[in-house]
Amino acid sequence: MTLALHLVAGVDFNTLPQQLVNGLLLGAIYALIALGYTMVYGVLRLINFAHGEVYMLGAYVALFVSYFMGFRPDATHPPQATILNLVIMLLASMVVCSIVGVCIERFAYRPMRSHSRIASLITAIGVSLLLQYGGALFLPNSPPPSISESVNPFHGQSKEFTLKGPSQDLVMLVEKAKPAKDQAQAAYQGWLTSHPNADIYNLPADGQALKEAQQSSTDIFNDAEHKVEAGGVHLIIQTGQAVMLVSTVVLMGILTYMVLFTRAGRAMRAVSHDFDSAALMGINVNNIVTFTFVLGSSLAGAGAMMTATFLGTPLTTFYGLAPGVKAFVAAVLGGIGNIPGAVLGGLLMGMAENMVVWAGYSNYRDAVAFLVLIIVLLFKPGGLMGSSKVEKV
Amino acid sequence: MISMRRFVTLTVNAVVAMAVLAPTSGCGNKAPAAIVIQPAASATDNPTAARPTPTAAGNVAKDTVIVGMVTSLNGDMKPGGDDSAKGAQLAIEEFNKQNPSGINGKKVDFRIEDSNSRPEQGKSAAEKLMSDGAVALVGDVSSGICAQIANAAFAKGVPVVAVGATRSDLTDIGSNVFRVCYTDDFQGPVMAIFARKELGKKKAAIITDLKQPYSTDLSKNFRYFFTKLGGTIVDEEFYNSGDAQFSGQLTNLKSKSPDVIFMSGYFNETGPLARQAREQGIGKDVPLMGGDGWDSREILNTGGDAIVGSFFCNHYNNQETRPEVQTFLKTWTAKYGTTPGTTMGALGYDATMLTLQALKAAKVPDSKDVTDAIENTQNYKGVSGSITLKGMDGNPQKRALVIQLTGDPKAPQKVIRPYEWADVFVAPFHQHHRYTISDFK
Repeated sequence: MTLALHLVAGVDFNTLPQQLVNGLLLGAIYALIALGYTMVYGVLRLINFAHGEVYMLGAYVALFVSYFMGFRPDATHPPQATILNLVIMLLASMVVCSIVGVCIERFAYRPMRSHSRIASLITAIGVSLLLQYGGALFLPNSPPPSISESVNPFHGQSKEFTLKGPSQDLVMLVEKAKPAKDQAQAAYQGWLTSHPNADIYNLPADGQALKEAQQSSTDIFNDAEHKVEAGGVHLIIQTGQAVMLVSTVVLMGILTYMVLFTRAGRAMRAVSHDFDSAALMGINVNNIVTFTFVLGSSLAGAGAMMTATFLGTPLTTFYGLAPGVKAFVAAVLGGIGNIPGAVLGGLLMGMAENMVVWAGYSNYRDAVAFLVLIIVLLFKPGGLMGSSKVEKV
Repeated sequence: MISMRRFVTLTVNAVVAMAVLAPTSGCGNKAPAAIVIQPAASATDNPTAARPTPTAAGNVAKDTVIVGMVTSLNGDMKPGGDDSAKGAQLAIEEFNKQNPSGINGKKVDFRIEDSNSRPEQGKSAAEKLMSDGAVALVGDVSSGICAQIANAAFAKGVPVVAVGATRSDLTDIGSNVFRVCYTDDFQGPVMAIFARKELGKKKAAIITDLKQPYSTDLSKNFRYFFTKLGGTIVDEEFYNSGDAQFSGQLTNLKSKSPDVIFMSGYFNETGPLARQAREQGIGKDVPLMGGDGWDSREILNTGGDAIVGSFFCNHYNNQETRPEVQTFLKTWTAKYGTTPGTTMGALGYDATMLTLQALKAAKVPDSKDVTDAIENTQNYKGVSGSITLKGMDGNPQKRALVIQLTGDPKAPQKVIRPYEWADVFVAPFHQHHRYTISDFK
């Protein structure tokens, strides 16, 4: 009982809509990466451990392209940021990542295909480590570089939606506090203008008194203002993050179209259904596997470019490790091999993580991902949307 | 095809494999906080127990006097690590010039090993240096790595002088552990005083990097002293080094409407954190603050406009006019072309020079006598300030500077004001093993 009370004590329902939006944005990226894991598993029955590293390389490609376009951190006059720059970065990341993905498949996985599955799995781990530690030899990683915010034309822009306004009494409180604040501020500013050489961090007694009066009246005003703020339900959506979400949805739409309505997509589904029979029916299985890696890797590249650009995280060769693990868990959660399942799993993971933070347990944010995985696998071993049919080997 | 049971086993294996393969758990080059020092240290405690003395005899100098340095030449801490190595090189050159015959006729052999910004690599680097015969070690720039170096050195009985490790309880490991920087139970109160008294802030929120022993200790000290000064801590949020998305934590934090935010982590995450905080609508009237982990030029790249105007605590500044600073900057610029980017240059110089002078003062250049000589250091005139270690349990009393980040690329740092010991703690400062609230003004 006390535990339950304690659990809800930190919860503020006014921030719930905002946290759900945060979860959606985080989950969309997980879903984008998870699609790569799930498609490769569907076709090859192989967990592509190197997928997170493809993601990492995508972020580096975006970084280099941004450097090439003149957005270096030391540039004194970076060019004007446009959406075109972002599109170039996105396409470059997607193209390079698909080439990398195809190369990994061609040179690391294909030779192992006729061997036991565990051999492929270990090869995948090997490729992952090779890219992490080998990449550190020639990719700039210390100090970790980051994509300059000047490349982002939406930098600092956000839109605020008020879902529920505060009560009238609170608004009155602010209006009441305002004259006192303005007066104290004017007095302090007046003193400062008459003492132009004063050090504001080391004032004589009379100046200090005015400064303190100004501070305390501002505090009362700010308190009232914060109450107004906290009394309403607001939703702030950064334009960059909105763009990220829309692009993710568009990319997923394109993927769905390709898988469901194109010849290659149909062939891919056939291969995923039965590898050997599909080959007997005249499908060029190697081409389809390549196609799968192109799709999965380019999605990872797109996700990496967007997170690296809009969130401004410093890049190292381990950049793909944490998102890779999370997305893999998301794919398993949704039912690995199942495309809508990966999206569902990703969104669930993003939501679950943000709900934990919302409840005031940000120190357990990462633990929850694995907890959710364990619980789902206990009750539904095939994942949420995967088939739990026991197959005869 | 694969059976479901086999699939589950495979999946679980895969997750375990990924977790095992993730030595850094997705945190870039930083390693998890494998800290072995006792968690007892808090500003409330009043430990009067003496520090344990190592039982091992340490090393004796043979043909040459080997002094080892372990620092982060690669990885996340590279900006500070590089500077500390450069500072150490300056110190050794200057020492050799002043003492052409070496120590008792033996040449000093100064060796630098890389910790790669990771505690476990720092430990093995320290062990390698000690098995090569190093009589003294100069430590790393971060507390998590220094703790491992100090543990290894305690087992061997070799003295360690840490460069930039500020975690308060680091020196509790043993009487062979010293440092040339201030501690978190000094910079925490300094920032608390600055926020409360100079900025007049009442409601602080704290953001802590759970993976960094430095960050957790600094947050704890800030929280403790800010509360004692009449402020309230409205929220504390956590993240792990290497995280990219902080929107959840920042939403929570914003709803508590703090009027100042204390970010005790390193610059790698602080930049993006600041950026995302401003995008979440936390305005510039809420200043951001931090400790010496912010000290690097990179923070202005990752933080951009969002971080401009923020305050942090630092050991020294290139603009200081003390003669030691001026000579140091002159020799540094002559050798490396630019001024040092972080204060670790000065601290690395001080740590190395202090160790070398102790070596010279020791009767015999062996670990035991050098430890005693370092312990007896009094009024060493360092670049980062005067250092006295005698009777201080390894923690010198130094001053701290509050620095503001400006948007000006030519002078990115502005000194707001220095805090002397006497500004923070009442005299006599060092009645206790560690500073407690009763010492606090």
